[in-house]
Amino acid sequence: MMSRFALRLALRIVRAVAVLVPAAARADWRREWEAELLYRAAQLEPAPHLTWRTNMDLISRSLGSVPDAAWIRRQFTLDADAVHDVAHGVRMLLKTPGFTAIALLVFAIGIGAATAIASVADALFMRPLAVRQPARVMTVWQYNRETGVGRLDVAPGNAIDWLTRARSFEAAAMAEPFTFNLNFAGREPDYLAAARVSEQFFTVLGTPVLHGRTFLPEEYRRGGARVVMFSHALWRNRFGGDPSIVGTSVRLDAGDAYTVVGVMPPGLELRFFSDSARLRRPETLVWMPKQGFDEAESKNRAGAFWNVLARLRPGVSVDEAQAEFDVISTQLAREHPQTNARIGAEVVPLRAHLVGSLRDVLPLLLGAAAILLTVACANVANLLLARGAMRGREFAVRQALGASRVRLVRQMLVESLLLAAAGGALGLVLARWLLDIIGRLRPADIALLDHIPIDARAAVIACGVTIAAALIAGLTPSLQLSRPAAVNVLREGRAGSRRSVRGALVVVEVAAALVLAVGAGLLVRSFMLMQRVDPGFSRDDVSVLQLFVSPRLDTPPKRIVFFQQVLDRIGALPGVVAAGAVTSMPFGEARVIVRGPLAIAGRPPASGEEALAYTTAVSGDYFRAMEVPLLAGRLFDATDTAASRQVVLVSRRAAQQFWQGADPLGSKVRFRFSGKPFDAEVVGVVGDVRHEALNRPEAAEVFLPYSQSGFHTLAFVVRTAPGSPANLQALKDQIWALDPLQSIYDAARLEQLISKTLVGPRFNLFVLGGFALATLLLATTGVYGVMSFSTSQRAREFGVRVALGATRHDIVRLVLGEGLKLAGFGVIAGIVVALPLTRLLRSLLFGVTATDPVTFVFVSIALVLVAAAACFVPATRALSVNPVEVLRAD
Amino acid sequence: MALTLTYQTALVLEAIAAGRHHGFDIMDATDLASGTVYPILRRLDHEGLVRARWEREAVARREQRPPRRCYELTAAGEASLAEARARYRALVKLAPHMGRRLKPA
Repeated sequence: MMSRFALRLALRIVRAVAVLVPAAARADWRREWEAELLYRAAQLEPAPHLTWRTNMDLISRSLGSVPDAAWIRRQFTLDADAVHDVAHGVRMLLKTPGFTAIALLVFAIGIGAATAIASVADALFMRPLAVRQPARVMTVWQYNRETGVGRLDVAPGNAIDWLTRARSFEAAAMAEPFTFNLNFAGREPDYLAAARVSEQFFTVLGTPVLHGRTFLPEEYRRGGARVVMFSHALWRNRFGGDPSIVGTSVRLDAGDAYTVVGVMPPGLELRFFSDSARLRRPETLVWMPKQGFDEAESKNRAGAFWNVLARLRPGVSVDEAQAEFDVISTQLAREHPQTNARIGAEVVPLRAHLVGSLRDVLPLLLGAAAILLTVACANVANLLLARGAMRGREFAVRQALGASRVRLVRQMLVESLLLAAAGGALGLVLARWLLDIIGRLRPADIALLDHIPIDARAAVIACGVTIAAALIAGLTPSLQLSRPAAVNVLREGRAGSRRSVRGALVVVEVAAALVLAVGAGLLVRSFMLMQRVDPGFSRDDVSVLQLFVSPRLDTPPKRIVFFQQVLDRIGALPGVVAAGAVTSMPFGEARVIVRGPLAIAGRPPASGEEALAYTTAVSGDYFRAMEVPLLAGRLFDATDTAASRQVVLVSRRAAQQFWQGADPLGSKVRFRFSGKPFDAEVVGVVGDVRHEALNRPEAAEVFLPYSQSGFHTLAFVVRTAPGSPANLQALKDQIWALDPLQSIYDAARLEQLISKTLVGPRFNLFVLGGFALATLLLATTGVYGVMSFSTSQRAREFGVRVALGATRHDIVRLVLGEGLKLAGFGVIAGIVVALPLTRLLRSLLFGVTATDPVTFVFVSIALVLVAAAACFVPATRALSVNPVEVLRAD
Repeated sequence: MALTLTYQTALVLEAIAAGRHHGFDIMDATDLASGTVYPILRRLDHEGLVRARWEREAVARREQRPPRRCYELTAAGEASLAEARARYRALVKLAPHMGRRLKPA
């Protein structure tokens, strides 16, 4: 009996509580609770001893329906509100398609740019590298202790000493880049970038090979088997990604058979770049074991072209390793004062090395992207405010009907989030495009930028950027518009003045645009000045073909004969004005620089850097082809042969450095070139030539006739009459006519070679300039938006003024004045901010100071003019106001 | 999974996994009050960790009572339970005691 009563009570409680549950879910909810209570009661029924305890349990369980119902109710309202906000937001955005399109575009530009740059930062600093424990992998470089120039390739002698002396590493190895000649039947001879590596190279990397194995210890010994490993790219692109390649033999170089023992894993962007030559060094495709070091290598401390890679011992820090290398450098300087006095060693983590020259620029790019994003947000905020002013009534009505301020703020935020989300999706497309361009324009030493995918990581970045953008852009307007004072709008029938906030936003936009525009302006001026630098030769109408002789030409006389034949053939082509050849080609794709001490007979020997000169062998009409002027004496001619007395030309810089104003003609100089001693007489002085980059000074240079050296590499320099038919293919054909198997390392126009050295500045210019332009565009639309809104709001006032006798002139001046005042404030604020900021650009500038007044003034004026133009349309619209209509309205 | 699992939520998941599919049975197995168990069930349902369905009419009619509501774990629920087990070691020990009792004590 008792249980009957308890059950009835419990059911009644549940029925009462059901009122709390939203109607849509109520029936189900009641059925569930009633079924449980009935089931429990039915189970208790047959039990003999029903205590008050079991009955109370039934009732207390039924009381639990209260929190249950409350939970459901809360969730229901939350869901309904969210759905409502989104639906309302979409409706409102579609109602004003013009506004929505502009806001979307603005968001897309801001979010796209920010996502692209953030992806670049992510790729450089966060994405895992393909080596084990990458933080412990170091690259070691030479640096010049005197000039501070670092990240220089390592001389073999120094590298060998480093490897034997350093204790900071659990494994250390060298890599020696070289090229293979590759001959495939039916294809033009090609070359392959390759590297010989010493024994612990793969221990340093710590990544398992994709197929096969790495080299065995005995393969690193002199006379070991001819074995190679293929890079992933070579294996995939030329051998179709066939794993059965492992174990087969391929013919490389002069037809020697090499056994392929393994394939490297993908994503191993192991490129080594020294800072001195910011040129695109091709990705290493073939890896070979370095089979012992020879005598000449351990003695070579002048010709630096090796790279050193090492893995830190556990517990050893980068600083400790650096300290050890400082000690080793000091030892080496004492042991070899002639060559090592100024050579230091620099330990650089692999990641930092791969980031390359972008390490200085990336913070600037991130800053520029942040500024652009901020301006985009300010712009959208402004648009939302303007639209909000039109929607003043809507908000006031909703507030009057009891909508809380939180609810209104949320509504506004939902709308800006919708805009940002759609803008973000569009921005991802833009980011993809930007990353493609960045990959194409990237400075040569930053391999990590080639293929940055738009993937989950990029999506996460874009989401973060989008949410931030939505909050920044949405918060100001939503707080502004939801102010309780908005109720006044109902009474007045007109939006209250929010001009001050909107004005402030415009000032911020203009200031930001000025900061970026000044930065870009400084880069533009630097770039123009750099391009105007005279390299010492004339760059137009010159073709350059660089080659490394095939191993068949194994003696200097054979090479001299071969190259002379090529020169004769090229010289006979129609349209060729002058043809010559040189061992160290200025701006050449393969940087071959031979530098050594020069001794002048009868003069005290110079020391250190002062004793060094570039030694370069030339052939044919090199100086005429380059249009390098002869300043004194004579050039080489056909009488300078291997058999005749040794002669040299010196550059003007060398004449100053070694003869200090005295006449070098007739002096005797002594130097070594390609392992041979030279004792030659100076017969002429020629003009200086820049070698590495337009913004790097000329060095002292000594020229000898190629006929007296027979060096293993040569670049042909061919000047053609403007518009002549002799093109690169015709030149290549001359070489292949003599030796169809001779590969050509690089064939290009001289202008292209110079242009390649401008890749870094051009990249900075493009990215910063692009950001500046986009910001300027957004700021302009911002000014335009504010002014057209303000004139439309002031139509009544203008009507009154016109009715009271104001002229068209007065009205235009009124509008322009207001706009220019805002722009003026923006420009002043921008200059104040830009003055300290442009100093960050200093390392990128050439020939201008960071506070270059010309740039500042020019950019300021340009910005004011652009702002004036943006005000002009609203001003003319204000003129079209018909005073009668305006005054009659409302 | 962003959802934070309290110990009580984990207990409820464990009870469902142990074959307790109804609200009141879950209360018996976990010793939690109805005012705790039901909001947890609603939340789990809302977040897709459990699926609620009605008992088949035939079964209910045979036992002469209205159909009850059954809760079952979804795949996401199973995953969350595994995560909860890793976090609350004690759960694993409790699990065997939660098994379905055919007759009420």
